Amino acid sequence: MKSTQYTEKTLEHFRDPRNVGTLEGPNVAVGRVGNPVCGDMMDIYIEVVDDHIKDIKFQTFGCGSAVATSSMITELVMGMSLDDALKVSRGDVADALEGLPPIKMHCSNLAADALHEAIKNWREGVGPEDAKKTPGGTACHPIPAVVAEVEIQRLDEYDGKGLYRAVADLGDLADQRVVVLDTGDDAARLAMDLTEHTGRVVLMTTGKEPSVSPAVRSALRLSDVKVLAEAQPLELLGEGELERIRVHDLNEDEEYELTADAFVVLE
Amino acid sequence: MTDARDTDLHLADPGEALRRAGVVYADYQSAKPVDPRVVAAMLPYLTEKFGNAASLHGVGDVATEALEEARGRVAALFGADPREIVFTGGATEASNLAIVGYALRNKRKGDHVIISEAEHISVLNIAKFLEKQGFRVTRAPIDLHGRVSPKKLRARISDETILVSLQWASSEIGTVQPIAEIAELLDGTGIALHSDAVAAEGLVPIDTSVVPVSLLSLSSNDIYGPRGLGVLYVRQGVQVAPVLLGGGQERGLRSGSEDLASIVGMAAAADIMAAEMPAEVERLRAIRDKLVERVLAEIPDSHLNGHPEQRLPNNAHFRFHGVEGEAMVLSLRDAGIAASTGSACSSKTLEPSHTLISCGLLHEEAHGSLEFTFGRWSEMEDVDRIMAALPGVIARLRALSPLYKTHAPATS
Repeated sequence: MKSTQYTEKTLEHFRDPRNVGTLEGPNVAVGRVGNPVCGDMMDIYIEVVDDHIKDIKFQTFGCGSAVATSSMITELVMGMSLDDALKVSRGDVADALEGLPPIKMHCSNLAADALHEAIKNWREGVGPEDAKKTPGGTACHPIPAVVAEVEIQRLDEYDGKGLYRAVADLGDLADQRVVVLDTGDDAARLAMDLTEHTGRVVLMTTGKEPSVSPAVRSALRLSDVKVLAEAQPLELLGEGELERIRVHDLNEDEEYELTADAFVVLE
Repeated sequence: MTDARDTDLHLADPGEALRRAGVVYADYQSAKPVDPRVVAAMLPYLTEKFGNAASLHGVGDVATEALEEARGRVAALFGADPREIVFTGGATEASNLAIVGYALRNKRKGDHVIISEAEHISVLNIAKFLEKQGFRVTRAPIDLHGRVSPKKLRARISDETILVSLQWASSEIGTVQPIAEIAELLDGTGIALHSDAVAAEGLVPIDTSVVPVSLLSLSSNDIYGPRGLGVLYVRQGVQVAPVLLGGGQERGLRSGSEDLASIVGMAAAADIMAAEMPAEVERLRAIRDKLVERVLAEIPDSHLNGHPEQRLPNNAHFRFHGVEGEAMVLSLRDAGIAASTGSACSSKTLEPSHTLISCGLLHEEAHGSLEFTFGRWSEMEDVDRIMAALPGVIARLRALSPLYKTHAPATS
């Protein structure tokens, strides 16, 4: 079955999703699941009064079934008690949509997980800002409890062959894919300067956001630097010169290889 | 009973048929209509001149003559000798014959094969099969535009290397590879060069008398011939072992009675392309350039993937921040526009396009990709129709997205 062989009900929720948006206020909790690496990310906001869901909203980055399942679940649980809402499962959402293609059942049904995460955060007193900051929540795979200081393998091997501990001439990196490791304001400023010479500058940080001062943070947002968050560099790879960086995605607890021509790790 | 020859067979013009259906078709890289002129050329070979070229009677002789004459016309389009053309059941089959056939036939010379990171999934999977047979396969990296560097390729050549397989151009992001340069590099080394040229057919010149490639995979549908037929170009002197065994047709390289009607169709398509390609390429380039100009100007946080200049004239491949590919394609479908995407959710394996990742894009950028490819029945007003719908589609999906809020608009 094609991934897009959706039922009319699913398409209806995709075309005309219910309860899109965010919520604010003291009675609000949010659940976030998935991440852009996975290709699906959902935020579900609940407003809780008397242990019941008074209002619910969602935002989703993802495919047709990701949008449809998010929309459907907000319709299913509006007005429910939190305990009843916790019982609503991935299967219930798929049934309400009159079925999902098998390949979509897994990742796309994160909507139920996001709702349960929101309820969990409400009960544990985790506010919306913190809920969106902590790595993980329910991801496709389990998350590590502790992220230890990890040494980057083969770092020295690429000294002068793609690894830079200092950049004397920014022009050296013209048209290259540059990854700058977040080591503070200087690294972020260098990343922004590099955008004058190359169209691909990625600032890699293990945190949810780069560890920079507020002024630099604002400048970064307006710049062409791509921030890659929750990413731990593990190893440098390449045939005689740097070609890829093996990265641990801390949110999904998965490893992948990021293509890069230069890696800047300021002392 | 009606004489079939008297029947007026009406062949719909593909452009008219699409207009009547209300569809703007911008996915030519995945399938092309067969040119009605090609269909007309094929018809007699279905009901009248239906013979098997292997037969010794008159009906068979008519078939043989038609087969060899068609072979010559296909060869001419690619600057080849007719003896260098092997008809196969499609380009994927041609790649199997080229890569597996060459490797098995020449394994006493070595066991190392090099492909690129930008290859079509068919070539990647064929290479995986070779690995299981004990061959070593290396993937040469691509730059941020998706181009293979001859320097990086040379660094990977060893004494055991027997074959390099590199696409002529990417069917996905449109980047044209430096095939001539790499063919020169390999000329005289004893290492064969295979190129999957499907994406480039009818869009950039492919002349084997000028570029010393050893093997080429070609498809009939990509020059507006019938689907299900392909060609493996095998330079004289290059040996491959057959992968399809049987009665020994095509000099033993591809057994099975020839699909004569389709072969005659491909020859007709080749004749048309030889005559019309230069004008067609310029017309397509103008349509594509107009779309790119409008998208980048009118939709914020949009980018063109692939090489800005060294790219196929019909290909526009974009990424849009904060939105996912399948959702875009579905929304465009509702608006009567056919386009495609390389996002994970749209693929069979739930992996994003390996080409985009190898270009250095982050996963989230690879998921937000959208590809438009134009062809013979595309019109300039297709761009207007696309731009009437696309900005709204992107805006709606961005309003739904938790990612787009956190990104401040890039200064244009």
